[in-house]
Amino acid sequence: MALMPKRVKWRKSQRGHIRGKASKGNTVCFGQYGLQCLAPGWITGRQIEAGRVAATHYLHREGKVYIRIFPHKPVSSKPLETRMGKGKGDPAYWVACVREGTVLFEIGGVEEGVARSALVRVSHKMPFRCRFVRRRYGL
Amino acid sequence: MDTIILTAEAREVGGTRVARALRKTGRLPAIIYGHKETPQAVTLVEHDLKVALAHGARMLELEIGGSKKPYLIKAVQYDHLGTLPIHVDLTRVNLDERVQVTVGIELRGVPKGVHEGGVLEQDLRSLPVECLVTAIPDTLHPLVTHLNVGDSLLVSELDLPDGVVALTDPGERVATVRALQEEVEAEPGEEGEEKSTMPEVIGRARDEEAEGEKSS
Repeated sequence: MALMPKRVKWRKSQRGHIRGKASKGNTVCFGQYGLQCLAPGWITGRQIEAGRVAATHYLHREGKVYIRIFPHKPVSSKPLETRMGKGKGDPAYWVACVREGTVLFEIGGVEEGVARSALVRVSHKMPFRCRFVRRRYGL
Repeated sequence: MDTIILTAEAREVGGTRVARALRKTGRLPAIIYGHKETPQAVTLVEHDLKVALAHGARMLELEIGGSKKPYLIKAVQYDHLGTLPIHVDLTRVNLDERVQVTVGIELRGVPKGVHEGGVLEQDLRSLPVECLVTAIPDTLHPLVTHLNVGDSLLVSELDLPDGVVALTDPGERVATVRALQEEVEAEPGEEGEEKSTMPEVIGRARDEEAEGEKSS
């Protein structure tokens, strides 16, 4: 099932703008390798889940997959064949707003080649261009 | 590794715009501090610094206005993608000084326990150490092939070079091979159908109760 919050303060939210570049959440923190997005955008809970499934299936229960983002933002839509007006539609799905440079997924406990192949598969599920990154051990 | 010699120029004007303009010309802003002297703003050639960092340099010898002195690289700031350095912090050091630095730990090998179904988890990624400024070790590469499921590699078991002292608890775990926890996979039938459950709205239940009481 797609990711979504358990409790929210408000059912619907405005669209907002994604401004700037990632100043936090842009380094590999938990695993050894990561998938970093190279463009800003919305990523739906379903896409995150598809990425997780792609990685875990490829890894055959080896290593560990970390998801660094969560869809906090509800996106509403009106039902089909409905006239305009009558207020805002109901929440249809949930998205995570990510900035350029955000690390989306991380993998640890496997060799680099395996992690790279797994994250390439994940990147095919993502709605923007991504790249493979390694943890920085030195300066 | 040998100390790399770079040429630096004193920087008179500070600020974001000046620093940004400087980066466009291929130079990087840097700051030198320490030894209770006044901080000095300088600029470095970006390419030379990148080469030095790629070679794992922890010390730099800077030539500023004709005088050469050794400096320890304290911190490097990178851009949002983590690729380009944008600022460097350097500290003044004497070559016979002992310094406290952080050294990365990169595990080597595949543990036995992983072949038996365990997962290797690294608990400690960097180790604070004290050593001579001329003998700062590169990234540590401890071998973990001997670890079975449930075994751990401790800080005390790390093979540190002579004169290097770890500043953390010797009993702290560096890596552990943990037994794999069973992951509950959703059944194929459940995956297909979209559940229409919505998150609970904070305060909504209370409001509805209050409304119900009013109407009754």
